[in-house]
Amino acid sequence: MFATSMYPTERMIVEIVATILCLILVKFMIKPYKLTREGTLLGLPLGFAFLGISYALAAISYSPLGFPQEFIWLPFLTRSFAFVFLATTYLFSNRKSKNGQLLGELTISLLVIGLAILLLIAFVAPEFAFNGYSNANVYLRFVNLICLSYIAIYTLRSHVRNPDPTTIWIPFGFIFLAISQYSLLFWYIDSSFSAFIGSLVTRFVGLAIFLFVSYRTFYRSDEKKGLK
Amino acid sequence: MKKIPRRDKLKIYGDLLSVLKSEGNEGERVILTRVQVQINVPFDRLKNYITELRELDLIEDETLNLTKKGKQYIMEYEKVIEFMKRMGLTY
Repeated sequence: MFATSMYPTERMIVEIVATILCLILVKFMIKPYKLTREGTLLGLPLGFAFLGISYALAAISYSPLGFPQEFIWLPFLTRSFAFVFLATTYLFSNRKSKNGQLLGELTISLLVIGLAILLLIAFVAPEFAFNGYSNANVYLRFVNLICLSYIAIYTLRSHVRNPDPTTIWIPFGFIFLAISQYSLLFWYIDSSFSAFIGSLVTRFVGLAIFLFVSYRTFYRSDEKKGLK
Repeated sequence: MKKIPRRDKLKIYGDLLSVLKSEGNEGERVILTRVQVQINVPFDRLKNYITELRELDLIEDETLNLTKKGKQYIMEYEKVIEFMKRMGLTY
């Protein structure tokens, strides 16, 4: 894997920028939960928070500080949990019955417990975790791809049901993130440098779309009102 | 018959404040029956919601126009609902 050791400073900077973008997005994504207090909507800020954590961990791994070999899988695991949290939010968002909401909140809670257990195993028995989780790396990328494809299809269908020029952006955001994961899968299999660069570019395009939509919703509307 | 989706109290509050905002005129009392038609809840329950909104200091006692706090709340509420719509989420 030549690309893992290439341009560590540049890659660290790329990961830091992605972390900052995710942190800004968390600030926006938590607003629906703060207003409604619906547990299932917590998956949205949790998803972007974990995505940010995974990029931050990746940045540390490229930094001079380095990363212990036993914990090299940590960014992949947190990234997969991020996409699972996001998919769970969409899966339960249209279940308005009390049972549906309860099931959604239960799923989010179980995911948090699951992640805590996995991390506990990793810290108690790092060698066991290293072997198990490193092998799971490629499967985790498939999980990411499935979660992102599901969200992209869900948001596209939602847009088709109620066509509105403002709702077309988000499906594209998720599609770009899915392409990014797909390219990473290629890079993992055949070490293609163009696939690796493509994954970084599409990741940033995806995150930029989310940021653009959030900014337009929360700030542009204020500016427009100010002009009136 | 068209199925009306279930609304929780917060959604009803939000919808009610939006209707009060559109129906309200400075100094003039809002006509409750017109609000009831738009909000689609029984009149006795609407009166309970109005009382609760008054207690929360979101609407004025006499005219039922939105207070400054009410206007701030509805602005934030509408933004979040718009954001959720853009994110492809239903509420």
